[in-house]
Amino acid sequence: MTAAYQRHRIVGILLAILVLILVDHLNSPTFAFNMGDGRAQSALVQRDASACAPCGAPCPSTRD
Amino acid sequence: MTQANTMAPAAIRPGPDRFVVGLALAGLVVLGGLVWLETAPFLLALFAIGAVLGVALYHGAFGFTAGWRNLVTKKRGAGMRAQLLLFALAALIMIPILGSGRDDVIGAVAPVGTSLVVGSFLFGIGMQLGGGCGSGTLFTVGAGNLRMMVTLLFFIVGAVLGSIHLPWWLDLPAVDPISLIDWVGVPGAIAVQWLGLGAVTLWVNRIERRAHGDLERTELRLRPIEGSMAKALFTGRWPFLWAIIVLAVGNALTLVIGGSPWGITFAFNLWGAKALQGLGVDMGQFEFWNWAYPAQALADSVLVNIPSVMNFGLLLGAMLAAGMARRFNEASRQTPRGRPFLAAVVGGLLLGYGARLGFGCNIGALFSGLASASVHAWVWFACAFAGSLIGVRLRPWFRLPN
Repeated sequence: MTAAYQRHRIVGILLAILVLILVDHLNSPTFAFNMGDGRAQSALVQRDASACAPCGAPCPSTRD
Repeated sequence: MTQANTMAPAAIRPGPDRFVVGLALAGLVVLGGLVWLETAPFLLALFAIGAVLGVALYHGAFGFTAGWRNLVTKKRGAGMRAQLLLFALAALIMIPILGSGRDDVIGAVAPVGTSLVVGSFLFGIGMQLGGGCGSGTLFTVGAGNLRMMVTLLFFIVGAVLGSIHLPWWLDLPAVDPISLIDWVGVPGAIAVQWLGLGAVTLWVNRIERRAHGDLERTELRLRPIEGSMAKALFTGRWPFLWAIIVLAVGNALTLVIGGSPWGITFAFNLWGAKALQGLGVDMGQFEFWNWAYPAQALADSVLVNIPSVMNFGLLLGAMLAAGMARRFNEASRQTPRGRPFLAAVVGGLLLGYGARLGFGCNIGALFSGLASASVHAWVWFACAFAGSLIGVRLRPWFRLPN
């Protein structure tokens, strides 16, 4: 039975995703904080208790 | 069992795909190590939960979309009943946690109004055209399905567009979230959810009995259809009941560890917004990306955003499961072209736009919403199912089988 995929494509896609994640992370406040930058504010716990939906949307009653 | 019977499955399935399994394990180790080194242990735990959920979704073949379609086209309700059982179990576990007075957990509650109705309706259409819901799209992409990669890409595009439009939709008539826990307490909320889910189950059973005269009770099967339990555990296919338990416990653990229930689609918003930002677009000009949570998420690493971290785990978990089943990329032997390709594009856009307006997908809005005793989840369920009926009717035009 022939393989349903080409190995180099799968490896390439996964590596591309890893590179994108790394680029994003290396430019983030969390990475800066980990590197000793005390001024960087890492949002390790991202939560807004006053939001009205999981996406952070405000309550309809607070809309002008 | 005869020797012939023993030999037959071995001839068809010669064992795990070592390359895919190895690659998935390497991905889990590399990304898990990065999360461990750079963030916090609770995020590594959520990454692991995401991976287990991916395995459960793949090996359980737990597709919300197909379950709804089977009820409409084949008048068979086992998949639908499995989902209802999942919601009931999750509500039983999670409502007491949310009603315990802990201030470190928040339920998946959302406003009830125009945005929710329109968004969930569009999402329902998108489910049938795109070929999956939030979780379905993600685990099939993890399993290498090429058409679902197109759906995911346009899911992300639609989600970003939805995030830009959401503030306008929020200004249309709506009421603040309604939590049954606040209204009738923990026992009352569980009772209301169970009564509601029981009523839907009776409706599903009625449809199936009218068409076939009996019910297929496969959702209650505890043993796998073929092979031993140990073999099914690693290579599938799991009985629905196994997947139900893993998904319900996984969502409850996500709530306790992460502070809020399982959600998928916010990460799609975030990935799309980060991509646009990378191309030089100032996302700060859009109101959505100035709200506290989206702004925090956009400013920081995807590795500290819970839905993103869990989605990464889920993708790799599904890849691992597909490798174990030796079915990675099996659905993509033919490249999607023509109308099926167009269906993936349109479906993906509707899924993304609908998920943002509807405050989540079948996981964040429906599963987690019902488990949080939020009224918006029931509205989402009804409107998405109505949209799904239209989507099922549109499928033949896009040359998709019903």
